[in-house]
Amino acid sequence: MLIDWFTVTAQVINFLVLVYLLKRFLYGPIIKAIDKREKRIAFRLEEGQKKKEEAEREVERYLKKNRDLDNRREALLSEIKGEADARRKELVNEARNEVEAIRTNWYEAIQREKDAFLQDLRQRAGKQTCAIARRILRDLANVDLEHHIIRVFIERLRNLGEEELGALNESILKSGRRINLRSTFEIPQEMARQIAEVLQNHGADPVDLQLEISSDVICGIELNVHGRKIAWSLEDYLETLEEALAEALEGKRIESRD
Amino acid sequence: MRISPDAVVFFQWGPISLNATILFTWCVMALMVLGSWLVTRRLSTETRLSRWQNLIEVLVTGMRDEIRDISGQVPGRYLPFVGTLFLFIGVSNLLSIVPGYEPPTGSLSTTAALAGCVFVAVPLYGIAENGLSYFGQYIKPSVFMLPFNIMGELSRTLALAVRLFGNIMSGTMIVAILLSITPLIFPIVMQAFGLLTGLIQAYIFAILAMVYIAAATRARRQEGQANQQAEKGDLSDG
Repeated sequence: MLIDWFTVTAQVINFLVLVYLLKRFLYGPIIKAIDKREKRIAFRLEEGQKKKEEAEREVERYLKKNRDLDNRREALLSEIKGEADARRKELVNEARNEVEAIRTNWYEAIQREKDAFLQDLRQRAGKQTCAIARRILRDLANVDLEHHIIRVFIERLRNLGEEELGALNESILKSGRRINLRSTFEIPQEMARQIAEVLQNHGADPVDLQLEISSDVICGIELNVHGRKIAWSLEDYLETLEEALAEALEGKRIESRD
Repeated sequence: MRISPDAVVFFQWGPISLNATILFTWCVMALMVLGSWLVTRRLSTETRLSRWQNLIEVLVTGMRDEIRDISGQVPGRYLPFVGTLFLFIGVSNLLSIVPGYEPPTGSLSTTAALAGCVFVAVPLYGIAENGLSYFGQYIKPSVFMLPFNIMGELSRTLALAVRLFGNIMSGTMIVAILLSITPLIFPIVMQAFGLLTGLIQAYIFAILAMVYIAAATRARRQEGQANQQAEKGDLSDG
């Protein structure tokens, strides 16, 4: 008989005891350790996932910050650029205005110089003309030019038109017969008397003739009575000369500008 | 010629006898329990672990996965029983390489004891899972099948016992016979084969036990699933 029933029973008991012992010493602890480890790994993975998500959020935050900074920088740059442009325009305008002012000043200075020159020229030309005329007259007629001028003036007074004469008399009356006579040179008493006579002949009343030497009147005589003026001088001729010279100078300046 | 280690009796006291089968079984048990205790007394729950713990974990995890694959259920309840079957038979067979050792699985008493344990465990697991309705599957598809079902249970238990006994015993016998014919080299080759067949037998025994248990515990579940499908079908028809 191959089967020993006692052995069978003993082996059953042995096997059951082994099942219990292995469960106690092998499966239980091992499975517990595996579960624990799995739990720990799962926890670590979860932790890792959390950290990863946190890191991603952080990255996202930094990217957003960078974008914001970029945008802000762009805005600042454009603002600064705008300001710089405005400033540049302002400076250009200022420079332009300054240049314009300098140009205007310069132009005015030129104008002033021109005017001064013309004034000077006029005076010199007047004097020179007077000198020339005086010399010519002296040379030719051997007559003092001033006397001649006075005579011409007296002649002119005598030959006044009716209308002019009326107006002159009216002025003489209004001025209280005070007549101001200005001249470049000294008028001799004789000549002054003649002038007064002429005026009296016109007005039939004695006049108070006040003589005055003035450099304003160029080589001539000027009679002022209550705002009315009768004169003979080189002024007219000189004015003509002045105009001609001014025209000539203007022409020269335009040429030089071109 | 001695076929079973039961015949080697060290001590006899009435019906109680201490034979080689029981003695070597104790040796195997002591070895397994001692080894388990040595490995599991300092278990690491970190990611770094000792080689022995790694080996044991691979073994246990492999068995659990196998049980899960076969039964389709959580392996926790079946692991101690099926795992111990596999480990005991496997270690008993592998130790046959040690000179002087006789595998307890080469004794029909041992295999019959193990098969008997399976024979008892199957209905116990079935009842634990399904209640007394487990016995209902013996009269399916009709009550006339009851004797055949019972015979099937008995015969598969017998087959379990004899298959293991036959394989191990024959391996031992072949080595013994070869030793007397060609004492050199050939017995070693056969012993190597013996190791392979020993492991395969351990695997077969454990797997078959698990299949029987799974069949017993799954019966009701399949029934439940079938009912659910039928209800769904009615609903869709309606």
